[in-house]
Amino acid sequence: MRNFILASLLLSSAAVAAEPTPTIPTFAEETKTAGINSTYKGEWVYMVGGGVATFDCNGDGFADMLLSGGTKKAKFYRNTSPQGGKLKFKAETSGLELDKVIGTYPLDIDSDGIMDLVLLRIGENIVMRGLGNCKFERANEAWAFDGGDAWSTSFAAIWEKGSTWPTLAIGNYIDRAQEISPWGSCTDNWLHRPANKKFAPPLALKPSFCALSMLFTDWNKSGTPSLRVSNDREYYEGGQEQLWHIDAGRPPALYTEAEGWKPLKIWGMGIASTDLDGDGYPEYFLTSMADHKLQTLAAAPAATFKDIAFAKGVTVHRPTTGTDLRPSTGWHAQFEDVNNDGLQDLFVAKGNVDKMPDFAAKDPNNLLLQGADGKFTDVASQAGVASTFTSRGAAVVDFNNDGLLDLVVVNRNDKAQLWRNTSTNLGHWLQLKLQQPTVNRDGIGSWIEVKQGDKIMRREITSGGGHASGENGWWHFGLGVSTQTQVRVVWPDGTAGEWQNVFDDKFYILERDKPAKLWLLK
Amino acid sequence: MKIFKSFIAVALAFSFFATAAVAGATPPQNVFFSWYRLALELVRHTATYTPPVASRSFAYMSIAAFEATASGPSTLQSLSGQLQSLPPAPKRQAGKTYNEAVILQATMQTIVENLFSNTGPTGHHAMDAFSKKIETEVTQEVKSDVVKRSETYGRSVANTIVKWAMKDGGAVIQNMGFPATYTLTKGPAHWVPTNTIDLQQNPLLPNWGKNRSFAMPNGATCQLAPPPEYSEDKNSEFYKQALEVVEIKKNLTPEQKAIAKFWSDDAMLTVTPPGHWISIAMQILERQNADMDKTADVLARLSIAEADAFIGCWNGKFQYDLVRPITYIKRVMDPKWEPLLNTPPFPEYPSGHSTQSAAAALVLTQAFGENFAFTDETGTKDGLKPRNFKSFAGAAEEAGISRLYGGIHYRAAIENGLAQGRCIGAFATALKTRK
Repeated sequence: MRNFILASLLLSSAAVAAEPTPTIPTFAEETKTAGINSTYKGEWVYMVGGGVATFDCNGDGFADMLLSGGTKKAKFYRNTSPQGGKLKFKAETSGLELDKVIGTYPLDIDSDGIMDLVLLRIGENIVMRGLGNCKFERANEAWAFDGGDAWSTSFAAIWEKGSTWPTLAIGNYIDRAQEISPWGSCTDNWLHRPANKKFAPPLALKPSFCALSMLFTDWNKSGTPSLRVSNDREYYEGGQEQLWHIDAGRPPALYTEAEGWKPLKIWGMGIASTDLDGDGYPEYFLTSMADHKLQTLAAAPAATFKDIAFAKGVTVHRPTTGTDLRPSTGWHAQFEDVNNDGLQDLFVAKGNVDKMPDFAAKDPNNLLLQGADGKFTDVASQAGVASTFTSRGAAVVDFNNDGLLDLVVVNRNDKAQLWRNTSTNLGHWLQLKLQQPTVNRDGIGSWIEVKQGDKIMRREITSGGGHASGENGWWHFGLGVSTQTQVRVVWPDGTAGEWQNVFDDKFYILERDKPAKLWLLK
Repeated sequence: MKIFKSFIAVALAFSFFATAAVAGATPPQNVFFSWYRLALELVRHTATYTPPVASRSFAYMSIAAFEATASGPSTLQSLSGQLQSLPPAPKRQAGKTYNEAVILQATMQTIVENLFSNTGPTGHHAMDAFSKKIETEVTQEVKSDVVKRSETYGRSVANTIVKWAMKDGGAVIQNMGFPATYTLTKGPAHWVPTNTIDLQQNPLLPNWGKNRSFAMPNGATCQLAPPPEYSEDKNSEFYKQALEVVEIKKNLTPEQKAIAKFWSDDAMLTVTPPGHWISIAMQILERQNADMDKTADVLARLSIAEADAFIGCWNGKFQYDLVRPITYIKRVMDPKWEPLLNTPPFPEYPSGHSTQSAAAALVLTQAFGENFAFTDETGTKDGLKPRNFKSFAGAAEEAGISRLYGGIHYRAAIENGLAQGRCIGAFATALKTRK
């Protein structure tokens, strides 16, 4: 039985404002006690990937999860944690237990209100239809999804304007048959567009440059998300980072230098986005090897971004703790407010590709707290999450619904790790879930806005990005001190809902054209 | 004309092996070429392979192949006694039969795997697959005792070179070549970081100019004339040369932009400047169906000249420690000015591409003649159009001036860099390589 014990505790906790020195959260590793025992295993073709999907597949409001297994079968875990208590998971047979799974993303493809999943694999990709109560079945044939035969490494999804079925972008890596000279052998990325409530044959996104992360994002607030693609320069020839126009009814088209796009060539491995500066436009953090990038829009409406990683203290180019100070290798990245001070923080999973001696072998993950001055400081070691396993995918999610964000990290050739946020001195919070009546029920492509006085925090609801890992569930906001809080949603079609008053430290369902509905544990 | 695409070339080489092996005689230069092509790929995919490091590895690879060949029935004369402290190659067993292709395979495999031991998993995966493939081809129809003897000998030559290489000062590259600590020289005339990449806040390989050189006596042998004296006075030569960078950027023609990009040769994204000249030499040697002696001779001299050029150039760079145009122009002329090319993370004077291109051109002119016209297809796989040249010297001059078009060097660094390169290259052309 779950214990509803936390709201009152949190209301009385020492509220935290955006202070010059952010409060460092504390985490306790509960992998073993929570019942998690999963390893992402494999050699060359599994050097990238190893992801986790978090989603609620039984309607209890708690995030369940699927962990990629590489050569081993993926593992599904039902979340049985008590609210606010220690984390508990139960391994179950769900139908998702497939091998060769690199990445995994949740998405309610058929908009039936039951979560489906996309499995990125070595070989054929598979879409899995949710049947309810955490059971799934293959749906490639039913949905005319061509899973292809590739080394699939990235994913993003969006509902294009007027569409009742999602568009999936799948990024592919090198031609795995090219053992002697794999360089320059990047295979085509695919765009699976809708056709009569099914998928049309995939469209090749040419040119493709070995995409390790993709994200549909409305970078210019035009109302039509574009597709950002982060590519691994290790393998492409003549390649660069990419931004695609994906306009309904039109062929995809790359943004050009004439539109302001500037070539950037990095070992792109993961994308995280958030509106850091409150100007309504997202910033993008791109993981890489050595220096990482944080891009902000330089001159709207041109598609020109400038790198502010150095200025913000998020280059995270080498370990900040330990004795191995060789350059770092970054993978999954995710912006979240882990100390509930109203400022977005940043988690970065780190890990050597595979015994590369010029890069740190013991490469601790980063937990970068944002200060009031907008600069970040790595506190992973103090917070207790500076794992030096070879990390890849991850998810920063509130697993026990206490308003404090927890963490799961997938490690290559080692056990996945799970941490509970055990902090007792953090600020207030709000967790929200979107709901549309028929199509795109989870409101992918919406923006949630949370207002406190003059301050508005914005969050773009996306499906994709990170590294091989995706989340769909409660969208978390840290609120800092307790004040009057209002929320509204700008839905994917651009319609802005009404501002609505909400209480701190609560869960709300934001259903289109309806009042915010308080969610309570059943 | 063949497209210079490495993986295609590798495939072609393998199909050639298949035919040759039936006849029982794989030309050793095919083995050599194949390994060089793989090395050109590894250079752009191995994190420490900045241009100086690449030049060093090309030199050791070529010297190993040269010495292995010179020890047998060839016209080549050992470079031992001519290169700085190069020991003699191990002797072959008198009266015993060897297979030159098998020797080359063992030599190149050993030395490439050593020099690129730090490459990533895909590089290792490729080296393993590549080696097995060539090994199978070259040993077909060769007696097992000959294979064993040849492999043992080839490895022993490579190990001799590796042991020699370990003591040159350039064997260990940490932090991708950027020192963890470094004290910047004070004053506006001196180099400061030119980008916001955290790793590059200290300059690349500040001690490279102290490395043991190859054919020239040491890194300070070919001294440069000093650059124009630093000044912010509008009438000064320094200001005028900076203004030239600004004016050229303002009026760049499409041809000048193409030239800048053609010779950009960025580390980690291309074969690097020394790899570019290796590529030029390989294209010509292939078109001429050059034999092993010619191939080994040309690539050894060329690689030695380039490696020496980077040592000499780096010696000058940290002697003068000159501020880059981007820094000076933003500070003194136009805060919003940006060059066409990314500014490399180390001092300006002299231009490395100029020094090493002039050295390379001297060697190739010696090998193929004055006014040797050629087409360079090095950048085709990165979308760059081939360029035609009337001579190697003309190509070197274009490589040099490309840095002015790119906005990363003043004219003095180019002109004096070319002169330094000609001085350094002369040591390579003076080597006695034939018996």
